[in-house]
Amino acid sequence: METIKKIFILLGSLDRRIIFLIVGLSVLIPLIQPEWVNFPIRPTPESQIVFDEINKLNAGDKILLSFEYGPSTKPEIHPMAIAILKHLYAKNIQVYGFALWPDGNFMSTEAFSEVSDDYDKKYGVDYVNLGYKPGGEAVIKGIASDIRTLYPVDLQGTSINDIPMMKDVVNIEDFDFVFSLSAGFPGSKEWVQYACDPKNIPLSTGCTSIQVTDIMPYVENDQIRGILAGMPGAAEYESLVEAELQKMEIAGKPGEASGMMAAQSIAHVVIVLFIIFGNISYFITRKKNRKG
Amino acid sequence: MNNKVIMWSVLFLILLGLYILGEGMIFVEGIRVKFAAILLVSITIYYYIDRARSGEEIYLRTIPGLKALEEAVGRATEMGKSVLFVPGISDLDQVETITGLNILGHVAEHTAKYEASLNVPVSKSIVMEAARDICKESYLKSGRPDLYSDDMVHYISDEQFAYAAGVNGIMEREKPAACFYLGKFYAESLILAETGNSIGAIQIAGTGSMAQIPFFVTACDYTLIGEEFFTASAYLSKKPELLGSIKGQDIVKLMVMATMVLTVVLNGLFQAGWINFDILSYL
Amino acid sequence: MLLKRQIPLMIVIGVGLLTLFGNFINNESIRDFVDNDATQWFDIIASFAIFLGALNMLKLQLIKIIKKQKNWQYSILAVAGFAFAIFAGFFYRGANFITIADIQDGQLAIVSGIIAEELNETNPYDIKTKIMGSQDEYEIDKLFMTEGNAKLLMEKLTPFVGVINLKSKPWGAHVQTKGSLFYWMFINMITPLGATMFALLAFFVASASYRAFRIRNFEATLLLVAGIILMLGRVPIGNLIPWWVVSIMVMFGIGAIAAPFIKERKILLGIVGGGIIIFIISGTIMGWNQTPPALLSIPIIQDWIFAFPAMAGSRALMIGIALGIVATSFRIIIGLDKSVLGG
Repeated sequence: METIKKIFILLGSLDRRIIFLIVGLSVLIPLIQPEWVNFPIRPTPESQIVFDEINKLNAGDKILLSFEYGPSTKPEIHPMAIAILKHLYAKNIQVYGFALWPDGNFMSTEAFSEVSDDYDKKYGVDYVNLGYKPGGEAVIKGIASDIRTLYPVDLQGTSINDIPMMKDVVNIEDFDFVFSLSAGFPGSKEWVQYACDPKNIPLSTGCTSIQVTDIMPYVENDQIRGILAGMPGAAEYESLVEAELQKMEIAGKPGEASGMMAAQSIAHVVIVLFIIFGNISYFITRKKNRKG
Repeated sequence: MNNKVIMWSVLFLILLGLYILGEGMIFVEGIRVKFAAILLVSITIYYYIDRARSGEEIYLRTIPGLKALEEAVGRATEMGKSVLFVPGISDLDQVETITGLNILGHVAEHTAKYEASLNVPVSKSIVMEAARDICKESYLKSGRPDLYSDDMVHYISDEQFAYAAGVNGIMEREKPAACFYLGKFYAESLILAETGNSIGAIQIAGTGSMAQIPFFVTACDYTLIGEEFFTASAYLSKKPELLGSIKGQDIVKLMVMATMVLTVVLNGLFQAGWINFDILSYL
Repeated sequence: MLLKRQIPLMIVIGVGLLTLFGNFINNESIRDFVDNDATQWFDIIASFAIFLGALNMLKLQLIKIIKKQKNWQYSILAVAGFAFAIFAGFFYRGANFITIADIQDGQLAIVSGIIAEELNETNPYDIKTKIMGSQDEYEIDKLFMTEGNAKLLMEKLTPFVGVINLKSKPWGAHVQTKGSLFYWMFINMITPLGATMFALLAFFVASASYRAFRIRNFEATLLLVAGIILMLGRVPIGNLIPWWVVSIMVMFGIGAIAAPFIKERKILLGIVGGGIIIFIISGTIMGWNQTPPALLSIPIIQDWIFAFPAMAGSRALMIGIALGIVATSFRIIIGLDKSVLGG
């Protein structure tokens, strides 16, 4: 009994470097050997809503895809971007890429180049990348009123008058849906406030886990239709898209987020165990101090 | 009823009436509720500022984080170490950054008084200039302009995590005894707070970024949660007008709560079919 | 004093009131100013202000190097990184591409084959179709960072094409174009560094939770229990936790809450242990092994915590913060709070 108590006391006062090492291993091992651990992914109601909303769109519909994330949040949000693009391309929906963050340009370029060729999508006909403009909310207001004045050229410097799919696009009301891949400010909230709510355009979002509490009030009010919450949300959406692509008999590469969920799950369990050990040690130490 | 209350109420009604009359011509249609709300909030806050100026005593509860400000600087002085002040990573267009810089002024007065060294790494150039002005003014006010140096406030990087890495590096190398995180933060908040914790510094944090408050609460000694952070400049300066505005803010919060209860009740009655008035469509 | 205090104050008050009430005025110019110009002025000022920050950073790092202060070697890296980014953005474009036209008769298949090999494509027929479909000139779908690499391909194609040109993406656009040095730097340096720093949060969350989540009082216990449920419920492993494990956790939670009120430890242990046994036996009898109740499913409890108590708390905090921002902004707009101006 004394030995067990001593072990728990030791576990309760571990050097933080040992904690870091164990957490690091708990993330690394499932990533290196994904076949060792495989957890089924259950889509949450919010992710299902996002999927259903995009699934309702028809071929030829226009979607505004906004990239508001950077390198630091890329592991969480980029898999969502890839899954969304696969879904949109499979349904032959026209994709208009925008960015409210400067880093969004790089993320959008990478996302489009990763997916477009696999689905034989042609730039200017099936997708276009208009890129970043400084101004935050002012850009959203500009998109809501007049895109052509705000974006005379696309990201590569081509005049929008020379891009076939930009022919009938004047402002946000010409879009059937808006999807915001958001990691902060400006992001989904600003899309709701300045464009989608005033103009009644349906909006969905994928965001980092930490932002979910900020955005949930809008989801509850139906101002945002569903939400992909962090990497779990990305994994859930990937599983829904893969099932849909299989139904459509379209071959596809597996998503990244699904493979990372095992690592995240194990890491969470490890943290919970540390908390439990820490508390047991706390009680034993407190009891000892009282007796002493 | 107080004459001033009557006067302000009449003014409110007149201005609202003018707005409704001018709707479509001078004023934008369909947002009269928003206009009325802004007017009501402004008048309420100004009323209490006026009352405070007239000499009314305004009670503010003790905010431990702000009380500990001077203690933290004193601790740094005793240990012969520096004070680190992080005003967040946003630009001067964010109210949190302005609030953070207000508090920086008070911290700088203490560091001038106690002759502790102050280090203010910033993420935005405009914030750097504003912070320099504020620190210079504080050191002048404390009678120690000789201790001020422009290099106290220095730029690191606009990029979020480059800034976090830079500040972490400062913490690990210089080991400040007191760390203040007062401004707008995003994901880097926990990195900064945990590093500060690992070097044994006393940490006081305050932010309006809701998602970061739990991280600061976990890792810092004192955290200014929600409006406590915004009352800081009033609390520290003790100026009657500023204290009055805090009371006005509290009264507005009371009004918001009353409106919420009223809306729930009226909406419930409407849903039950007992009244025909749909308050939600009006709001 | 006038220049430093009064004039800035007048500007703050004037622009503040204009921006606030401009939302309500039905005038095109004012709406334009409020919606577009005001924020764009700020962006322009902030963009030029970057020079101040950059020069300040350079000055401090160079002083460290020149005076060989402590850890001056790291400052060399800082200055080198700065210089490299300037070079990649302003001096070295990269993003070179090749256009071909006037392919000689009977050489289309050879040209397609060469291009397919360069692009690692298995089917040169697709390239052939694209070349035939292009009107003036065909742009090879590959970007080269250096002209040297591009010229190697040009040498292979020159015998078979009439017109071959080496071009670059325009300045400005080159920053976002794959194949440019800046893009390479962003993807291979900035992105991994940013992701690494963000990943540190995982370790810090672990050490912060380990240190801070202690059952010291009722609120701390509530925080702990909610934290554990949310952590497990957000990930797929939460679905695998069986109902009886959840019921054990529930009983432990009840025990932790009741602990300050029940002094006799044996009674507490009895309540917790007895509760666990009763839960498991009754659950087994009621067939919970096949159809567990929603209340004992971690993901569902997590959804409820997220949707109700967490949402209520965050909304209340949001309202408080919003009111704080309103009051602070009001004080600044009416000129009451002059501390930002230095006084």
